[in-house]
Amino acid sequence: MNRYSIFSLARNAVNYHKDWEKAWRSPDPRPTYDAVIVGAGGHGLATAYYLAKEHRMTNIAVLEKGWLGGGNTGRNTTIIRSNYLQDESIAIYELARSLYEDLSQELNYNTMFSPRGVMMMCQTEHELRAFKRTAHANRLAGLDCRMIDRAEVKRLCPIINDSPRARYPILGAYYQPRGGTGRHDAVAWGYARGADDLGVDIIQNCEVTGITREGDTVTGVQTSKGYIKTNKIAVVAAGNTSAIVEMAGVGLPVESVCLQALVSEPIKPVIDCVVMANTVHGYMSQSDKGELVIGGGADGYNNYSQRGAFTSLEHTVTALVETFPIISRLRMMRIWGGIVDMTGDRSPIISMTDVKGLYVNCGWGTGGFKSIPGSGFVFADTIANDRPHPIAEPFGLNRFLEGRLIDESVAAAVAH
Amino acid sequence: MTGRVQLAVIGAGPAGMAAAVEAANCGASVVLIDEQPAPGGQIYRAITSAARPGKAILGDDYENGAKLTDTLAASTVDHWTATTVWQVTPEREIYMTRDGASHRITADAIVIANGATERPMPFPGWTLPGVMTAGAGQILLKTAGLVPQAGLVLAGSGPLLFLIAAQYLRAGGAIEALVETTPRSNYRTALRHLPGALRTPGYLRKGLGLLAELRKHKVRHVKTATRLQAVGDGRLQALRFSRAGRQHEIACTTLMLHIGVVPNVQITRALNLPHDWDALQRCWRPRRDADGATELDGIFLAGDGAGIGGAVVAELEGRIAGLASARALGTLETGKAEARLAAERSRLAQEMAPRPFLDALYAPSPEFLAPPDDTIVCRCEEVTAGQIRSYVGLGCIGPNQTKSFGRSGMGPCQGRLCGLTVSEIIASETARPMAEVGYYRIRPPIKPVTLGELAALHDDQAAAADRSLENAS
Repeated sequence: MNRYSIFSLARNAVNYHKDWEKAWRSPDPRPTYDAVIVGAGGHGLATAYYLAKEHRMTNIAVLEKGWLGGGNTGRNTTIIRSNYLQDESIAIYELARSLYEDLSQELNYNTMFSPRGVMMMCQTEHELRAFKRTAHANRLAGLDCRMIDRAEVKRLCPIINDSPRARYPILGAYYQPRGGTGRHDAVAWGYARGADDLGVDIIQNCEVTGITREGDTVTGVQTSKGYIKTNKIAVVAAGNTSAIVEMAGVGLPVESVCLQALVSEPIKPVIDCVVMANTVHGYMSQSDKGELVIGGGADGYNNYSQRGAFTSLEHTVTALVETFPIISRLRMMRIWGGIVDMTGDRSPIISMTDVKGLYVNCGWGTGGFKSIPGSGFVFADTIANDRPHPIAEPFGLNRFLEGRLIDESVAAAVAH
Repeated sequence: MTGRVQLAVIGAGPAGMAAAVEAANCGASVVLIDEQPAPGGQIYRAITSAARPGKAILGDDYENGAKLTDTLAASTVDHWTATTVWQVTPEREIYMTRDGASHRITADAIVIANGATERPMPFPGWTLPGVMTAGAGQILLKTAGLVPQAGLVLAGSGPLLFLIAAQYLRAGGAIEALVETTPRSNYRTALRHLPGALRTPGYLRKGLGLLAELRKHKVRHVKTATRLQAVGDGRLQALRFSRAGRQHEIACTTLMLHIGVVPNVQITRALNLPHDWDALQRCWRPRRDADGATELDGIFLAGDGAGIGGAVVAELEGRIAGLASARALGTLETGKAEARLAAERSRLAQEMAPRPFLDALYAPSPEFLAPPDDTIVCRCEEVTAGQIRSYVGLGCIGPNQTKSFGRSGMGPCQGRLCGLTVSEIIASETARPMAEVGYYRIRPPIKPVTLGELAALHDDQAAAADRSLENAS
């Protein structure tokens, strides 16, 4: 792999940038792999990268039905934060957030992590109290987060409507200064390039159509590009994970719903932090291109079609136009939806299963992007050593049997 | 505006007007939704305006549009002007903007008649100020009577180029040159289809008439030009091209381009309807049956938006879709519908006779399908052909990934101006057929809508339901 640097940039500039090598290969699948990862989104590619790098498992493949990074990895609003409520969640989201801090150096690929600060608005007394509770829990866990008052909200985000007469007035906010955003595609591409360089085969346009078992052990996957033998199958396919593991006879307590987002036309910088307003189901930040990136609440019904209910979006926009009056004349350029996989306690599943050699990583709901590095890191460890990584252990499937739920339905912060 | 309508027709060009009138005459209640302030579409633009240039300039074909607008005015069709449709769903909901607010209605049937769009003609310098399309020139002519008085060059191929040249000459305009890019080989392939075209000789006669007008005014007519380049410092100053191995340059201040029209597939793509690749015309055609019905229940297509045929064909297709939708709605008996549809279909076949000849003659030159590296392809986001090729070199496998690699197709035009070119470049770089490379996924809104308009969504259907509840209680 040619390293990207100021020198390689200068060298290639001389040739009008025509000689850059491919960032990853497009190999045909081999007949046998030590492990097969299903899903080349951020989580799948990060898992492959850490398997190869930390555990020296390089004879592995990542299979992708469409193209890499084309699912939820490329569809989210790129928010990165770790201020969840429960200790277990804080551990994994903070691991991910801290890995994001120097991910560009790690991958030699600019993932554009921008710790611009995340503000979670308190717009009712109840919200204020709930976030104070989270703040105390986070301080105990050692997170750098704090409550801020209305004046500071206005200072950090001057375009916000701080009128006490607003329908939902700003009472304060819960603030994580080292939260922010990243470039979602670049995270997928960086991990893909890194994994490919370590020998991992990333096979796009390759749909898994079946999983074969011998007794309670997996033996391989049927794909649109032929049969592949393997003893370890890791399914990391977000909303489609439950459909895939069903091929091996395993059921998951996951529901899939559509979550939508939209962007405006690009404008000059007007907001240099991330604002989440949960009472009104909306969150907003500004991309490096200048577009306002806006996300809303999830739909109230199950769905696999990547097309959501229009009413949820309208609801979000109505509230945001009231919170940020200056945006009303901006044109909306695109709406899109992603299928998010939700568990009952709004916490992910990172787990081994009753079928030997079958591993699942899903249920990230609306918070998948922020967790990519941490999720990949602990999942790779789980697969390589055939036992749960300590941070992954609480997120095992058996928590639903044993009633050890990790309830994040409030701190997940998106209306579910 | 009511929340639920029987038939909604999108687009008030010849196809849309014919479909709306035909269905309304069958007893259906019809709304005709159009972006423009007056009916006519592109071809009959401003036909109802008293200030339009006269028949002597625009010709008899244009004045034919008045018959359509007259029948429309006399019908029961509810015509919503200045209303922009920005999303259509498979459940037949239509979202639109009008007077600063969004509206949503649901229709029992929809006829999509959104017409054609000019094929992009990218070559170095085509984004310079002073370069525009011939279609844009026609809009200025029809709505404001604007005629360039000097320094005009027309370039490209296709009947519209000759038509606008003749219209300008009749209006007293001056044309420096008409630079035709039709490759020599097209004449040979077209010759084969000449006998078929002679079945409906009117088109050929008109074409020869236009050429004669050019000769009469002694317009410089360059044929088989290649390697076009618009040059100028900050704005257009000249057009350069090669012909028979020699470089030529013509000084000009306005350059109008045209290499034919292609179906505008934004709505049908956003609906995820299947599209077939037309290898001769190098464009996508949404799939439909002989009645214009698509695989989505109650959604019909008519006119150039479904396949290029021109104004007369569009009108016939509009009638067919109007009758077919009236039959689907139950306002026209199946037996009666069948007889009338058969009559319209045979007229349609007659009108379609010259198409193979015209399609072969004016098939676009390959040089504009996949232009040289330094040509801007996506005008909104300023992405060049070379950049698209470099994304393929880095591992990009299709048009949708070019969005994340370099944002092509993500600007205000929503990919209308670069979609075909980006797919063509990827197909030629990866040596794959276009049908496999595919096209952008088109996201709503089809035309940008402001957040304020969105926030002010009037759910007409919900409002009507609320009213009826109140009345009941």
